[in-house]
Amino acid sequence: MGETPFVFPNDPNVTWSIMIVLYPYITGLVSGAFVVAALYHVFRQEVLEPVARLALVTALCFCAFATLPLLLHLHHPERAFNIMFTPSATSAMSVFGFIYNFYMLLLVVQVWLVFRPEIVERANSCSGAVGLFYRVLALGIREISDGARRIDAWVIRLLAMIGIPASCVLSGYVGFLFGAVKANPWWSTALMPVVFLASSLASGIAAIIVLYLFLCWRRRVRPDAECVRALSRYLWGSLIVAVSLEMLELVHMAYESGAQWHVISTLLTEHLVVSYGIVQVLIGSVCPFFLLMISTRPQLPARAMTWLSGLAGVLVLVQVLAMRWNIVVGGQLFSKSFRGFVEYPLHWGGREGLIAAAVILALPLLALWVAGKVLPLWPSKEA
Amino acid sequence: MTHQTDDTNGTSEAETLRSRRHFLEKVATITFGTMTLTLFPGWSGSDEESSGSDGEKPSNDDQPPVFGYLVDTRKCVGTGKCLTACRVENDVPDGCHRTWVERYVHFKDGTVQVDLVPETGYADSDMAAINPDDVERAYFVPKNCNHCEDAPCNQVCPVHASFTSPEGVTLIDDERCIGCAYCVQACPYGVRFINPVTETADKCTWCYHRIMRSEAPACVEACPVGARIFGRLDDPNSEISRRIAKFPTHVLKEHLGTRPTTRYIGISGEVT
Amino acid sequence: MKRILTFLRDTRHLLVLLLLIAAGGAGFMHLRGGMIPESFGRIGPYRAAALDEIAARPSVIMADSTCLKCHADVGEERADTLHTAVGCIHCHGLGRQHVAEARRAVDSPDVEISPAKGWDGNFRTDIDLYITKDRATCLACHQKVVGMPKEFKKIKGVPREFKWINVDEHLEDEEAEEPESRETCFECHEGHNTEP
Repeated sequence: MGETPFVFPNDPNVTWSIMIVLYPYITGLVSGAFVVAALYHVFRQEVLEPVARLALVTALCFCAFATLPLLLHLHHPERAFNIMFTPSATSAMSVFGFIYNFYMLLLVVQVWLVFRPEIVERANSCSGAVGLFYRVLALGIREISDGARRIDAWVIRLLAMIGIPASCVLSGYVGFLFGAVKANPWWSTALMPVVFLASSLASGIAAIIVLYLFLCWRRRVRPDAECVRALSRYLWGSLIVAVSLEMLELVHMAYESGAQWHVISTLLTEHLVVSYGIVQVLIGSVCPFFLLMISTRPQLPARAMTWLSGLAGVLVLVQVLAMRWNIVVGGQLFSKSFRGFVEYPLHWGGREGLIAAAVILALPLLALWVAGKVLPLWPSKEA
Repeated sequence: MTHQTDDTNGTSEAETLRSRRHFLEKVATITFGTMTLTLFPGWSGSDEESSGSDGEKPSNDDQPPVFGYLVDTRKCVGTGKCLTACRVENDVPDGCHRTWVERYVHFKDGTVQVDLVPETGYADSDMAAINPDDVERAYFVPKNCNHCEDAPCNQVCPVHASFTSPEGVTLIDDERCIGCAYCVQACPYGVRFINPVTETADKCTWCYHRIMRSEAPACVEACPVGARIFGRLDDPNSEISRRIAKFPTHVLKEHLGTRPTTRYIGISGEVT
Repeated sequence: MKRILTFLRDTRHLLVLLLLIAAGGAGFMHLRGGMIPESFGRIGPYRAAALDEIAARPSVIMADSTCLKCHADVGEERADTLHTAVGCIHCHGLGRQHVAEARRAVDSPDVEISPAKGWDGNFRTDIDLYITKDRATCLACHQKVVGMPKEFKKIKGVPREFKWINVDEHLEDEEAEEPESRETCFECHEGHNTEP
């Protein structure tokens, strides 16, 4: 039966912009990076020691800006705190507010405890404004006994243990935000939270690899090959899980061929060809899969391995961003009449434009740079 | 769904719904413990229990009225009077639609064409001329908010700005709405939009301000052929009750379980 | 005793931290208490005052009964015709100002009631009250458009058949004197009394 296109009259306005693409992206980076740190603290993966602190601070820096895209998207940002004042227990977005705050608090405490020895040391050694800053940061307590160190180590481990499920809840919940919208057949699947969780881990690990290699290059330090190799293995594993789940979801939809499959197949073959087929699948999934397959081979020289891992890391970061785009924007490119498609005009300027998006992605990195000035990101033996 | 007129069926349905709500409440209470009471204000107070006792809504009885909306697509002639009426009544900005009228044209070659009735007459519209000889059947379908009993828009609203009034009307509190547009995504019928003037979510209110003064909604008032019928479902002698009793009615996207209050006479499966 | 003191000394930074978090939490709860609207939760989990605010908006579209209070003659004229179902507003506009003045004129007879103007051809016109004989007004309902029901026997309480036309054919068949004129319909038809 042939049909001419028809779009519900309110549907041409794509209401969830690139900001809502960035929000799950940044949240995913947070939880992925945290898991890297937790692998060191909880699962005693000593090989990850060179990046453990970096991962933790990266998680905090991205977490601090995770809600900024949401604020820019809100039409009444000044009312944002209504989410905390009169929250609705049935709203995924509202409950996310609590999960996010809990997680942010956990991260702050974790970072503070991990860096406390250095903070206290500087509080004692520095004078003037700098000294005052560190004394405030140390909450006025300017000594650390061995007993305190033991207790801190225990609390850090405990927080990391709580943090792992919290990370999963955080990124899974973002997936739930989309997966629970029954009006949208491209979103409404129970796999959505799991897909978000898996790709969050992949993006976080990839971000740590890329950041670590970049910062090593900047500091003219040779990256720890074993650490990068271990990270590549984790990245490879999480990428395989993430992409498998994404493909499983798609295959399932296609095989079931439900009432709205014709819309989704048209969406993929006509409207998301570049961002899904080429960027997410070919460039973002297939390429890094082979790159990482090679780079994790033990006999590969360290230099080649770091290059391959770094490249794979960048590609995975692109993959996950494309995946968020394809879900969020892709899900709004068809009308709920299921008879027609709309365009999403992406502008440079404006509150929800490309420049604002670039700034949002740059801010956590800027924060990381500042954090690197304030706190020692590298293990003491390396320095 | 074909509407059943026997009361027993209706009651059991309502009871299932109520028990489901209670179940959800219990789940929330267990999950969040005492946090539920402190973090989620208003959650413990069920609207059904307290609304009647407050009794501040204009109503003859203690119970708030039960409103219903019926669209008889067999009658709609597509004059578009309802569209202009809604726009001026509710000051709806151009480009946004609280209501619209779709036209379904089934051609003899099996193709289906769906388009919109122009708001300002056919004469100057860009609607393509159709040769009536090619047409198998064609009809108009007026659309507006379905005022679902299990409204997904209310469910996802993070700040309780979208809610169902004691009369069963889904409303938006534009002083609380943060403009996140989650409800726009959650509505399966595309009736919600972000009002560019107020920057809040907006949609049909069944002209709440009119119906609470016992006036008909503007679209109903403006319809010259009686294709849109509004009335009280709790009055068995109202026109809407009599028509629902007489003809089989359907709701849109029934499989989504939103339980729309707006019912349709004379539509078939192709209407989404 | 000494061990307890040591433990307290070793954990005092955690204690300070916990106090800070507790203070922050308490501060938030206190702030939140003042930020929840007064009527929130009175009826259900929403701001009850919103109901009254929404209900207080003015009605714009006027029912015919409002117009017929003064124009009872029109009511009688069209009583038994198909146009009983057509609202006054469709051909005469919203008449907000007109009705407001008419209401005031009940008490003070010297209030001037502004008269109707000619229609500007815009279906969403700003003209408060107008008289139109423009064919666009008639054709909005009477032009045969694909989609109109084939067998339509009854309009809002009038058990008679609705009349659609193909304009050009109709004008030719009826030998209209000025088929190009905007007001050609009124050569043969009345607005209120539809009997030809």
